Amino acid sequence: MGLFDTEVGKRRLLTVELPAIEKYNEGRSSQFRVQAKKVRNSLVLTYHLKPCHNTYQLETRLEANYPIIPPITVIKTPIKLCPHLLEGQTLCLWRQSSTREASRWDAAKFTVVFAIQAAWRWLACYEVWHSTGDWPIPDAK
Amino acid sequence: MMIVQIGVGSGGIIVLDLLMRDPRITQLVLIDPDRYEAHNVHRHLFPADGVGRLKVDLAAEWVKRFRPEMTIQTLPVDVMAADAQATINDLIAECAFGIGAVDTEVAKFHVDALMRRHQRPWTLGEVLSGGIGGWVHAFTPGGACYGCVASHLRRSVTLDHDRPPANYADANATVTETRIPASRSAISVIASLQATCTQELLSGKDIGFTSLLLPLTKVDGIFTESLRPYRFQIPRSPECFVCGANQETLSGGELDAALDQALARLAHE
Repeated sequence: MGLFDTEVGKRRLLTVELPAIEKYNEGRSSQFRVQAKKVRNSLVLTYHLKPCHNTYQLETRLEANYPIIPPITVIKTPIKLCPHLLEGQTLCLWRQSSTREASRWDAAKFTVVFAIQAAWRWLACYEVWHSTGDWPIPDAK
Repeated sequence: MMIVQIGVGSGGIIVLDLLMRDPRITQLVLIDPDRYEAHNVHRHLFPADGVGRLKVDLAAEWVKRFRPEMTIQTLPVDVMAADAQATINDLIAECAFGIGAVDTEVAKFHVDALMRRHQRPWTLGEVLSGGIGGWVHAFTPGGACYGCVASHLRRSVTLDHDRPPANYADANATVTETRIPASRSAISVIASLQATCTQELLSGKDIGFTSLLLPLTKVDGIFTESLRPYRFQIPRSPECFVCGANQETLSGGELDAALDQALARLAHE
């Protein structure tokens, strides 16, 4: 059963996720706003992030079992093969911190905007790795 | 009194076996999509000649041996199956209590949502990998939801496609986690605890916790003592996005229309 199939899923979208996205977009230049579209039974967000030097295009998908299963984020801009990059250009977002608090997904506390922020942090780490060869979160697994 | 039980696996059947002997319980609904397999036999109450049959049917027959007058309805479906939701909702609306004996996080959240929707108390039993211990959680209307509990206990969800991340610096840096099946005795202890807590709650008693962790063996770095219980009184979180105050009152077509409007705004950002 998908996000759009159940009243629980639809309410979560309407009262939690979409307002969080709208708040994120407030005051942001158009290039960096999040666009959200329903694709079959998933919600797909497309957006750009610029952690330091470069701008990257990303896509975050809220699948059928969201929010129990965390969002899946894919980087659309071609990047170098690097640590913490899974198949299909998927970012490994949920094991990359030295504290469990910061590296786990929590369906009760986090919205998809948290995943966007996690993707920003991943890109910042990627740019550091690109320059120095070291991923700056040594406990990331 | 009617009880809805979701899951009649090796743990669920023990909970069921104990609760069905309670004369207050006169009606049962059993929900489980699985068939009894050969590898279940050594940990289950059903005999080997039940292999291949639906677990709910075997469970119903088991109950009838001791309580022939019990009214039992069996649903050999996944509790999350879309085409079964109307029936499941109707049954939960009728019941007095729910028993959760499911093992995936998605199923736990779903059962929690069903029970909360109908304001029904329920208990959930969980056996830790290897049978080193287990949890019993008790959910009451207005109290913490499973999201509140999972958040408080800092639970993570393992994705189906979750693989060790590629590490091009060291291809052997991560190893896939191994799961060790729990023993029948470990399952029995936790399931019995769940049944006991359920009976206390059915009697209107306060069991004094939302979640109880019982270590069954000493494990270095995890449990310093065996059989020392840990009780957690977890309050409902007002910020919880699962059960929290953001309870939109729209439903049906109005909910769909509001969602479509909100999506239309975001599609053109």
